[in-house]
Amino acid sequence: GLTIFVLQTESIFSEEEEEKLQIAFSLEKQDLHLVLETISFILEQAVYHNLKPASLQQQLQNIHLDQDKAETFASAWAAAGQDTIEKFRQRVLTPQKLETIGWQLNLQMAESMQAKLKSPQAVLELGVSDEDSKNLKKVFVEFSHQELFEFYNKLETIQAQLDSLM
Amino acid sequence: ENTFNFTMQKCVYVNVQGLQVFLFLKRSCFSFLFTVTVNALEGKDCKESVKLIAESTNLSEEQLAFLISGMYTLLREALRLPLSTFKQEVSSGNTWSPDKLKAVSDASYHLNPICQGGERPASEGTALMQRSRLPSVQDLKWRVDVAISTSSLARALQPSILMMMKLSDGTAHRFEVPIAKFQELRYNVALILKEMNDLEKRSILKIQD
Repeated sequence: GLTIFVLQTESIFSEEEEEKLQIAFSLEKQDLHLVLETISFILEQAVYHNLKPASLQQQLQNIHLDQDKAETFASAWAAAGQDTIEKFRQRVLTPQKLETIGWQLNLQMAESMQAKLKSPQAVLELGVSDEDSKNLKKVFVEFSHQELFEFYNKLETIQAQLDSLM
Repeated sequence: ENTFNFTMQKCVYVNVQGLQVFLFLKRSCFSFLFTVTVNALEGKDCKESVKLIAESTNLSEEQLAFLISGMYTLLREALRLPLSTFKQEVSSGNTWSPDKLKAVSDASYHLNPICQGGERPASEGTALMQRSRLPSVQDLKWRVDVAISTSSLARALQPSILMMMKLSDGTAHRFEVPIAKFQELRYNVALILKEMNDLEKRSILKIQD
């Protein structure tokens, strides 16, 4: 039988891995590539059309793929299909994404220009990832009580918009 | 601590000399000097005004320098302390008590309003308030999109939030906020607000100035 690896679109087998696969399946390099591309294509179509495992099996059988191969696809898809689709749903075209949120609440007692303050300050640490550099950029923002309240109101407005989509 | 006292004493020394000069100033000249000092604290350009003062009085450059620096220091220190401090310190022997300033009757006309409440000059909102702080949010723009379909999915129907944050230090950050992260952000901000409220109610903040 043919064992199928569920591929994520971006995973590429390294040279070593390809060689191992070639040996394991007794395939030439070109044939191996063809097999991998075919499997990728089938899975990409399954993602695009959000196919249920049963539909996938049916479709494959319609194009005269062997029954046992179609079944293997279907069972692999049943196991990992939902997660894969969800991963694709989450992908966005914007390079920068908010990844982490940290915060600190301080009570400022004094500073060089003003004594005896006692004003609460919040510092938000936003970790923004950059798809290109794979680094997490930390953005530090300070809020007074009033400023934080205004920020919160804006977030509530956004939430109201999200709720109206439901 | 010691260096601070020394500096303060030096200012007093300067001011003592300056205060002697105050007594001989006409009220109009004094009020003009006062206005110029307030402008300086607010960060405005005062070169022209200072030139005017120099021309209109017969003070030497040195005396003028004493006066202006003394008044600047006085005002800056007076504004550094919150209003409630002065009510208690009026009777103490504190160098900066309005009592001592009252001794200079002409000066008190201008300085008392600052020290005893009433209207503080705008300097409190401007130059003096340019505290050392991290950047704050100057502007927040956002949009909610729903991706109908993408190159990977025929029917995506995935909402996403895009935020454009402009900070007070001039930097701008544009990033996507995944829905789950957005909920986390909202929760955390609400939590901090609650903590701030609790903090402001606690007795530590009821300590008298």
